[in-house]
Amino acid sequence: LIMKDNSLRLVSPDQALKELGLSEHQLRFTCRVQLQDPHSDADTLTRIFTHLKSVLKAYAIQHLPDGTVMVESIVIKVSSTAEEPNVKVILLSWSYQDEELGSFLSTLLKKGLPAGL
Amino acid sequence: QEEPPECLAPKPLLSGAVPLEAFLAALHKHGIVEVKVEETPDGHILHLQAEDALIQLEEDGTHIVCDNNEPLRTALRDLVLRFLQKF
Repeated sequence: LIMKDNSLRLVSPDQALKELGLSEHQLRFTCRVQLQDPHSDADTLTRIFTHLKSVLKAYAIQHLPDGTVMVESIVIKVSSTAEEPNVKVILLSWSYQDEELGSFLSTLLKKGLPAGL
Repeated sequence: QEEPPECLAPKPLLSGAVPLEAFLAALHKHGIVEVKVEETPDGHILHLQAEDALIQLEEDGTHIVCDNNEPLRTALRDLVLRFLQKF
């Protein structure tokens, strides 16, 4: 809600910022979660996708061809090193606007993937 | 937290910038004292040596990179938020 020229108007937060002459500050988080997983990186990502699909039924979840899974606007990637191929590093990246979901996902993935996936 | 958040309640937008010196002082006060500061073309990168975390500070954005350590992440988040305005 902004008051300008003696009138009150309801505008979106980003519109309000613009009208006040302010610029947005993006706050992002990237969290690394380690998993022991003997599958390939691509298979691990597919299993993460399947797991999240079953847990987060109300959310938009996509498995993109570039090797990322997106839950709403949260990006998930899997990598490992040649020395330790079974140690998967899951990178989760989200903005402050998605704080609750990002925090939930990092806690969820820390518990590992269910057996039988 | 076992259940996923039920609905997406987006957090407010943020505005402003995080001043380096004041932020370092806030980290210090929080017990985070081993900080290596690197200058970048757009700002600074803070290496939190003991915590193995990185904070990229720029005029229009802050990026916190850490292992899955929720207490550390939320503490760093709250320190950053102190310097920003919410809308």
